[in-house]
Amino acid sequence: MAVAQTERPGLSRFVLPIAGLIGLAVCVAGVLVLYDPHGGPNLLASIYEALGNISGATDLRNGSGDQVVAKLLLAAIALLVGVGGIWLLFICVGGLVSLLPPKWRDRILPWVFAGPALVLLAVFLVYPAAGTILRSFQDDHGQWTLANFAVMTQPDFTQILRNNAIWLIVGTGGSVTLGLIFAGLFDRVRRESLAKTLVFLPLAISLVGASVIWGFVYAWQPAGEPQIGLLNAVVVGLGGQPIPWLSTSPINVFCEIIIMIWLQTGFAMVVFSAAIKGVSSEVLEAARLDGASERQLFVRVIVPMIRGSIITVSTTIAIVTLKIFDIVYVTTGGRFDDDVVANRMFHEVFQFFNDGRGAALATLLFVAVLPVMYINLRNFKRQQGEG
Amino acid sequence: MVRKLWTTSALAVVVTVLVTACASSATTPKPSAAAPSAAAPSAAASASAAPSAAAPSAKPAAAVPAVPTGYAELDKALGADQPFKGKTVSIQTQWIGGEGTNFAASVADFAAATGIKIQIDSIGSSHETVLKTRIEGGKPPDLAMLAQPTPILAYAAQGKVVDVAPFMNDKGKLAKEHPATIGLVTQGASIWGIPYKADVKSTIWYPIKAFAAKGYAVPTTWDELIALSDKIVAAGSNPWCVSAGGPGDATGWQITDWVEEVVLKTKGLAYYNDWISHKVTFEDQGIKDAFAKVGKILFTPNYVFGGNTAIVANDMKTVMDPMFTDDLANPKCWMQKIPTWYGPDFFPDQRVTGQPSKYILGTDVGMFAFPTIDPAQKNAEGSADTLMVLVDRPEVRAVAEFLATPEGIQNWIRAGSAISANSTTPADWYAGAYKLKVAADIANSAAGIGFDASDLMPGPVGAGTFWTESDKWANAGGTNTDEVLKAIDASWPAP
Repeated sequence: MAVAQTERPGLSRFVLPIAGLIGLAVCVAGVLVLYDPHGGPNLLASIYEALGNISGATDLRNGSGDQVVAKLLLAAIALLVGVGGIWLLFICVGGLVSLLPPKWRDRILPWVFAGPALVLLAVFLVYPAAGTILRSFQDDHGQWTLANFAVMTQPDFTQILRNNAIWLIVGTGGSVTLGLIFAGLFDRVRRESLAKTLVFLPLAISLVGASVIWGFVYAWQPAGEPQIGLLNAVVVGLGGQPIPWLSTSPINVFCEIIIMIWLQTGFAMVVFSAAIKGVSSEVLEAARLDGASERQLFVRVIVPMIRGSIITVSTTIAIVTLKIFDIVYVTTGGRFDDDVVANRMFHEVFQFFNDGRGAALATLLFVAVLPVMYINLRNFKRQQGEG
Repeated sequence: MVRKLWTTSALAVVVTVLVTACASSATTPKPSAAAPSAAAPSAAASASAAPSAAAPSAKPAAAVPAVPTGYAELDKALGADQPFKGKTVSIQTQWIGGEGTNFAASVADFAAATGIKIQIDSIGSSHETVLKTRIEGGKPPDLAMLAQPTPILAYAAQGKVVDVAPFMNDKGKLAKEHPATIGLVTQGASIWGIPYKADVKSTIWYPIKAFAAKGYAVPTTWDELIALSDKIVAAGSNPWCVSAGGPGDATGWQITDWVEEVVLKTKGLAYYNDWISHKVTFEDQGIKDAFAKVGKILFTPNYVFGGNTAIVANDMKTVMDPMFTDDLANPKCWMQKIPTWYGPDFFPDQRVTGQPSKYILGTDVGMFAFPTIDPAQKNAEGSADTLMVLVDRPEVRAVAEFLATPEGIQNWIRAGSAISANSTTPADWYAGAYKLKVAADIANSAAGIGFDASDLMPGPVGAGTFWTESDKWANAGGTNTDEVLKAIDASWPAP
C-alpha cells in the first residue's frame, strides 16, 4: 500500500479508508465469533462444510472432532482482531479524517489517536471506579449510608493503618535507598551489567511467586526438628531457638516488606543507573576539580541532578506499597496483626460478603493514592518544562 | 448376625446424622427425638436396599439409579434415547486430590449412561472466591458445592439460586430423603440446595498400633483424655497434633471445631443453638468455659507438638505427619481432632505419591469418639456439603436430581470415604467401611447432633472473626481470651 501511495496518491486517499472499512467489518465478524460460546467450532465446521468434509463438521457441532484446531482458530482470530483491528481502526479513521478540510482535520486528528485509549480508560477504569465509590456509600439494599466507613473505627483498623504506614515508609524508603546505592556503586565496577542483572532479576518474579519463595526462607519448625527454613536453619546453627518469623508481630510486617524490597530494588536501580549515566561528565569533572570527594560528588551533585528520577521511582513504589496485597495474602493472610487495607478489603468482599465495606476500603485506598499521583504528575510536568 | 447388627448401626448413623443435624433451623431441638424418628426412614431404606443389593463383586454395577426414580428429568435423561446426550453440565467444587477423584468417580457412571458431559471445576482453596466472582459476573457454573449453608442462603436472597422444590420436592420427596439437613437450606416452600455428603466431626485420629504397643487405652471421658495426655508427656512425647491453617484461606476452623465440640458436650443442644443465633453471646460464661477447656489442650506445655506456634504455622495437610515417624512406631504426636472426611489421602505417603497409602485405616491409624465431658450432654457434631443449582436447564435438573439419589455418591461410598446425606441409602453399601463404623458408633451413642456452628453463623463471624480471632487466640497462647471473645461479639452484624 505504501508503494501505491507513492505512485497514485489521489487514488490511495480513497483506497485506504475503504480497505480499512472492509477490514473493520472483518474484525466485527471476528469479535462476534469470539463472543459466541460455540463460535470456534461452528466457524471451523462451516469451513469444513465448504471444503466438503461433512462428517468432520457434524462432529465439531456435536462437541467432538477437531476441537483443538477450533481453539487454535479462535486464538488466531483473537490475535488478528486485537492487533490488526486496532491498527486498521487508526488507518481507517485517520484516512477518513484526512479527507476533511485542514481546519477540521487538525482539530479532530488528536482525538482519533487518543480516542480508543480514552474509551478503554473510561470503560475499564473510570466506570468501575465511580461504581465502587458509589457502592461504598450504599448498604446491601441500595440505601445511602455512611455505615460502611464505620469499619474504620474498629480497633484493629488502626493497626491496619499502622501497618500500611510502615509499608509505605520502610518499603519505599528501603527500595529507593538500596536502588540508589547499588546504582552509584555499580557505576564504578568492571562487570557492571552482570551485577545489575543479578539485582534486577527478582523483578521478573511475581509477587505471589516471591512470597512463596520467601515463605521457605522464613519457614518454622519446632525446636529439635530439622529446620527447612533458611533463616531458622542459620539461627539454630548458631545455637539459637527457631523464631516464628511470620507469626510474631511486628517482626512479620518487616519480614514481608523485605520481600517487597527484594523485588523493587532492581527497578529503582535500573532507572537511577540510567539517570546517573545521563549526568554530564563536565559537571562531575568540575566538581572534582573544585575538590569534592567521591562521596560528596554522589550526595551533593549526582543525587540532586537525578532528583526527577528519584521522585518518579519513589512515587511509583509508594503506590505499589499502598496497594500491597499479594505478599500479605500469601504469607500469613494478615492473621497475625500484620493485616493491610487491600487484604482486609478482599476479605470483606469475598469471605464476609460485605461488598459495601470492601468498596469503602477501596475508596480509602484510592484517596490515599491521589496525593502520590499528584506529586508524580507535577514532577512529570516540571520535567517536561525543563525539557 | 454380626453383619446384620452392623447394617443396622450403619443405617442409623446416616439417619441420625441427618435427622439430628437440623439443630440450627429448629429453635427448640428435641435431641431425644432422634432415635425414634430414625426408625421410620430405616424401614424405607431396607426396602429400597433389597432391589439394588449391590453385593461386592469383581466389577461393581454402574452407580446409576433405577428408573423410575421419582424425578421427571432424571427419568428422561436415563431413557434409552439419551435426550441430553452431548449436553454439558458444569459443577464447581472445592474437592481436589483424593476427594476430587472420588467425586469424579461418583458422576462418571451417570455421565456414561446418559451421554451428559459433566465438567467438574475443582477449584480447591480459592473455591468460594472464584464462585462469588462467577455468580456475580453473571456466568455461574450450573451447579456448585458449598460446605456452609450461610452463603447458600445469602446467594438465594440475592436471587442467584434456583429453587429446586418445584421439580424435586413433589410429594416432599427431597425433604423426606434428606430429613434433617434439608432444613438448613429450606425457607418456606423454597429449597435452595441439595444436601449431598454428611460428615461426623466428633472424631479424634490416633495411631492404633502405637497405642497398643504402649498400652494406652482409648479415653472415653475428658478426665481420661487429660490423664492420657499427661501420661504421653511424662513418657517424653507430645500427645497432640493441632493445626489452625488451611485449606488455603480457610484458617482457624479447627479451633472453632474444638470449641463447638466442647460447648455441645458441656452445655447441650439448646444452648448450642442459642449460641448460633447469638442469643448466647461469646462472652457468656458457658462459652468462656469452653474456650478454657480447649485452651487446656492447646496451651498446656508439651501437649501440642511444637506448641502454640506450631498450631498457627501448621497446615491441615501436613499437621499429622509427625505421627508417622518411624512408620508409626514412634509417634511424635498421638492424637488429632479432625472430621471423618480426613483420611489416607492426607497421610504422608499417599499425599506425596498419589498411590494408595500403606497405612491401613482401622488397623494402623484409626479414629475414636471425642470423649464425654458432662455425662448428661452426650452430643456430637456433624456437617454436610450441599449443592446448589444456579442455572435452570433440563439437563442441569437431571444432574441435580441424580446427585440427590443415593447412587449420586455410591462410588465415593465404595471408596470407603463418604457418607451420603440421603437417608434412603442402602445400608449394605457401607459394609466393611471403617470410617462409617466409627461414625455410626458416634451417632448412635449421641443424644443429639449439632450442625457445625461456625458454618451457620453469619459470614463476618462464622467465616470471619470466629476464625481469625481463634488464630490470634492460639498465637497468643490463650492469654487474650476475654479480648478475643469481645472482638467476636463486636463483629456480629446488625440484624
